[in-house]
Amino acid sequence: MNAASQRTAFLALFSHYRRHPGQLAMLLVGLWVASALWSGVQAINASARDSYARAEALFSTGLDRIERRDGLPLTLDDYLSLRLAGAPVSPLVTGELELAGGSRLEVMGIDPLTLPEGSGFRTAGGTATLADFLQPPYRTRLAPDTLASLTEEDDTLPPLADGRQLPPLELAPELPPGVAVMDIAAALELLERDDLSRLLVAPEARLDLPQPLVRSAAENLAAPGQLTDSFHLNLTAMALLALVVGLLIVHAALSLTLEQRLGLMRTLRALGVSGRALVSLLLGELLMLGVLGAALGILSGVWLAQWLLPDVAASLQALYGERVGSELALPWHYWLGGLAVTLGGLLTAGLGTLWRAARLDVLGLGRAQAWRGQFLRQLRGMALAGGLLWLIAGGLLAWLERQPPAEGLTPGFVMIAAGLLGSALWLPPLLAMLLAALARLLRRRPLAQWALADLQLQLPRLSVAMMALLLALSANLGVGSMVGGFRLTFLEWLDQRLVADLYLRPPPARYEAAVDWLEARDEVATLLPRARAEATLLGSASSQRQPRPVNVYGVTPHPALTEHWPLLASQEDDASAWQAFARGAAMINEQLALATGLAPGQWLRLSSPTGPMELPIAAIYPDYGNPRGEVMLTAPHLSERFQTAPDSIGIVLDRQVAPGAIAALRRDLSQTLGIGGDSLIDQREIQRRSTEIFERTFAITRALNTLTLGVAGLALLSSLLAQTGQRRSQLAPLWALGVSRGPLVGASIAQLGGAALVTAALAVPLGLALTWCLVAVINVAAFGWRLPLHVFPGQIAATLGLAVGVALLAALLPAWRLWRTSPRTLLTEFDAL
Amino acid sequence: MNPAKRSRRFRAWLALGLTALLAALLALQQRGAEPPPESFAGLGEQAEGYTQARPGASLRFPEDHGTHPDYRIEWWYLTANLVDGNGTPLGIQWTLFRQALAPPGDNDPERADSPWTSRQLWMAHAALSTPDDHFVAERFARGMTLPDRRGQAGVITEPFAAWLDHWRLESRVTDPAGDALDRLLVRAQGRDDGHDFGYRLALSAEGPLVLHGEAGFSQKSADGQGSFYYSQPFYRVEGQVEIDGETREVSGRAWLDREWSSQLLGPTQRGWDWFSLHLAGGAKLMAFRLRGGGEEGGDYVSGSWIDPDGRQTPLADDDLRLTPVTHSSVAGRQVPTRWRLRLPSQELDVTVSARHVDRWMDTAFPYWEGDVVVKGSHSGVGYLEMTGY
Repeated sequence: MNAASQRTAFLALFSHYRRHPGQLAMLLVGLWVASALWSGVQAINASARDSYARAEALFSTGLDRIERRDGLPLTLDDYLSLRLAGAPVSPLVTGELELAGGSRLEVMGIDPLTLPEGSGFRTAGGTATLADFLQPPYRTRLAPDTLASLTEEDDTLPPLADGRQLPPLELAPELPPGVAVMDIAAALELLERDDLSRLLVAPEARLDLPQPLVRSAAENLAAPGQLTDSFHLNLTAMALLALVVGLLIVHAALSLTLEQRLGLMRTLRALGVSGRALVSLLLGELLMLGVLGAALGILSGVWLAQWLLPDVAASLQALYGERVGSELALPWHYWLGGLAVTLGGLLTAGLGTLWRAARLDVLGLGRAQAWRGQFLRQLRGMALAGGLLWLIAGGLLAWLERQPPAEGLTPGFVMIAAGLLGSALWLPPLLAMLLAALARLLRRRPLAQWALADLQLQLPRLSVAMMALLLALSANLGVGSMVGGFRLTFLEWLDQRLVADLYLRPPPARYEAAVDWLEARDEVATLLPRARAEATLLGSASSQRQPRPVNVYGVTPHPALTEHWPLLASQEDDASAWQAFARGAAMINEQLALATGLAPGQWLRLSSPTGPMELPIAAIYPDYGNPRGEVMLTAPHLSERFQTAPDSIGIVLDRQVAPGAIAALRRDLSQTLGIGGDSLIDQREIQRRSTEIFERTFAITRALNTLTLGVAGLALLSSLLAQTGQRRSQLAPLWALGVSRGPLVGASIAQLGGAALVTAALAVPLGLALTWCLVAVINVAAFGWRLPLHVFPGQIAATLGLAVGVALLAALLPAWRLWRTSPRTLLTEFDAL
Repeated sequence: MNPAKRSRRFRAWLALGLTALLAALLALQQRGAEPPPESFAGLGEQAEGYTQARPGASLRFPEDHGTHPDYRIEWWYLTANLVDGNGTPLGIQWTLFRQALAPPGDNDPERADSPWTSRQLWMAHAALSTPDDHFVAERFARGMTLPDRRGQAGVITEPFAAWLDHWRLESRVTDPAGDALDRLLVRAQGRDDGHDFGYRLALSAEGPLVLHGEAGFSQKSADGQGSFYYSQPFYRVEGQVEIDGETREVSGRAWLDREWSSQLLGPTQRGWDWFSLHLAGGAKLMAFRLRGGGEEGGDYVSGSWIDPDGRQTPLADDDLRLTPVTHSSVAGRQVPTRWRLRLPSQELDVTVSARHVDRWMDTAFPYWEGDVVVKGSHSGVGYLEMTGY
């Protein structure tokens, strides 16, 4: 076949879309939304990963930190004594500078000469020589995105708020956002300090530290990537769902266009176009559409990501304290990846079509609607595949139940995906069965019976849209309940935990004075000191447990606290657990209990500066949002064994206290003790901030969720629009038989509304199952703790209503077109038949 | 970026800044037939603002054992050839380098009192060689001038001590009449490729200080660049070395070099080959060849013949002949590890061979430094340093 005839054949095939622009639009829309959501989320992930990589390179290339036990800053003498004794420690000073214009910049002062080799600090890039970095006027190294956030003009650093200048700028793209790195001499000068924030040391270095100093292992400082993995996995799962829904639309559109071109293709074959040429022409068409759709999708994806990224960045900073640049940083493979996923998806969706085109029977004329006949066979196949997927999901669930917590996140998502897809595949057979049963019931009502039979006829094409709707609805319900439950539980827990009205973090040197002063105040009812330390949970002889790092948290078991503190499990009852705790027993958080299998009544062994300690476990308490295992002791017990003073005091105020008391206390505190107002935190402030974090985090989830539902609605709408022309030919005979257009339109709307209602009704249990999977499987795998299952009936009703609304909306346009169709047009349908 | 790449980049970066410290370590690439006489990383450039080493100055002790901040570069360089109780030959190196970042008076910082503000950079190398292994460690520090305690690195003269972190070279001399360098204690501990190594050695001089060149001014190229250079080559050594927790008693000979300058090299010199040899019978030989920078672009060869009683005879290339005999492939470079040295005026014709060819110092600025054996008309042991390969 020569090029000219190939071109003619291609144009002949493609001309189909000129006659049916709706189908082309539907195809492109499917590709576009699938690719847009997927690329958008991937863009967010890629940007965040870039930020983490930079932060990890700087902060946690495995450098241990050394600080004073009492929290005071380290001195030059501390540093020099260690160095001269051979300890390979390196000084670090950190602080914040206020720039003219009000923005704040975190400054890190380093000593490149003593940093362990290979540490990220050392390489914080730049082109100037070491000599420039080390001596006046020094250099300010920061990432280009940091600079862009500080200044409008290019390449100039704004001065400080007090008019002083930062050292000359040097761009270092590998630095994390929001951080400026400079020589320690320059940083000390700018921060007007002469002490050190901490010392850094390579983890493999063995050190004998003097008693006042304490070393925190790098492995205890979780890398940002690890913490946020689950967050990004969640986003990816949402995007994947959107991709599947989008590809379902594509599949529906492709099947339709092929079926309608079967006659054309036979003609082409009969005219001498070979089967192989036909398939390659179709493949070419697919690729062309794919590239176009992917390009559109990726562009909108980037736009979507830009729109969502500030929220994502804010959540990540609030949740994990990680900075993520608010500008997109996309590696080249991102673009290729987006294209590959879209094209791959398109080819998967189009594979069946191509297969049928290749096996086209040239002589099979007159069987234009051939594949509808195969629908029954297809239904059996779907039920079989769905069952198989359900089996996989069930198997994975059984396997996951036996896994230790905080593992199996990916299998968890695979399980959910298999379950959801399996359910979606079951939908068409279920609908078909339901229709058959209903048709038997309504034998006496001809129009209803016709509507049911007609719906059965439409089912092959509608089913794909309904599957998309089912997926979107159940995801919406599941994620919505999870988010709502999470929020409810967390806020309730926060309420119980933050029992004190105020929290004070006095400087360690003034701790005693602050306690004395507070105790003398009339409005103060109780003081609840808190302390923190780090320890290693040692394995015991009886268990194979590996030593693991844990946080140790010291609280004061005053009734004001114990009455509100929730416990998940205790040996007898809560009251006796608290009594045991006050006598020296430990409590552990749920994360630690799940991870180690420790239970109330058992003993745990902890390392401490005063030697290993054996403690009975009195109870397990919930600790939402904490990624790490924690052991709780009384504050005095902790202070004694870990030789560290309490770091903060909870202040419970007298009930009859005047409204202005907090402000007065704050003022007096700073006047008499010289403790800044920043050290005193109002409990309501913490609550407000935590709530804000939650709203922000889940704003993204909600946005994605809504988009997915929108895509499903679009799928329904486009598949209905695509077959409006055909519908007309099926409705025309009824009209000719005397059924007026009103009942016809009503029947059409009822058909679709009914199907959507059934789908939505199925989505409810599926959504609940999904919620359970999210809180009981995914959450345990991601965070190490379980959420209670909350069901929100109002939300379910709203989702159901929304689904039927979307379906009706989708039905309305075709119905309206039918309503507007002139009798003459309906009559001409008979000519066509 | 992976750590290895990061580390490589850092090395390249640091190397630029520290080039001058290692004086002639120049790998001036020979591009085309005639390399332009340009300075590389500031090594050969006019050191404006610094005091220049010039002939005619007389050295004074103990002051000159200490630092010379008006000069740009300076080092305290100790090597020792040792044997343990089994007769196994061992070698150690202990080196402290100083480099000024700016000439005196320049760049006075706003807060001159901040101890972190520094105009001096310090670098130290410690190495221990066994017949099969070569352990190397390096450390860096900024100079600090503190009123009442030692900084991270520095050199003081009363009593003499040179240190960076816990690597120390200290005087054990209590008699104020004696030279501070007559009795020293040197120690260092490091870790290389998973092996811990260290040494603690007592050094006792059995001869006087030796001033090289012209009363301590040692010319380094035909156009007059040079340095102040003196040595104490007469140390007896007793002490311990430790490898992976195993301690060995050792004894042997050591050689201390002191050198400072502001512009050590001519612009076209590529690197050097430097010998310090303890010969049987008590005589010592210091000899070096600076590649490039001699008459008509040839090599610049110089040295000192030191009698057992410490009398020094300057040597020039009309008498001293240094010829590479065998090259070995070390760290991807061709390095001469066997030499022929001839000194007709002393009837000396010897072969100097590395005990082990791989004595590569894989430091921020890499070079070759290792123990050598002397055979031929004279026998002996010593150290060879080769840079710029």
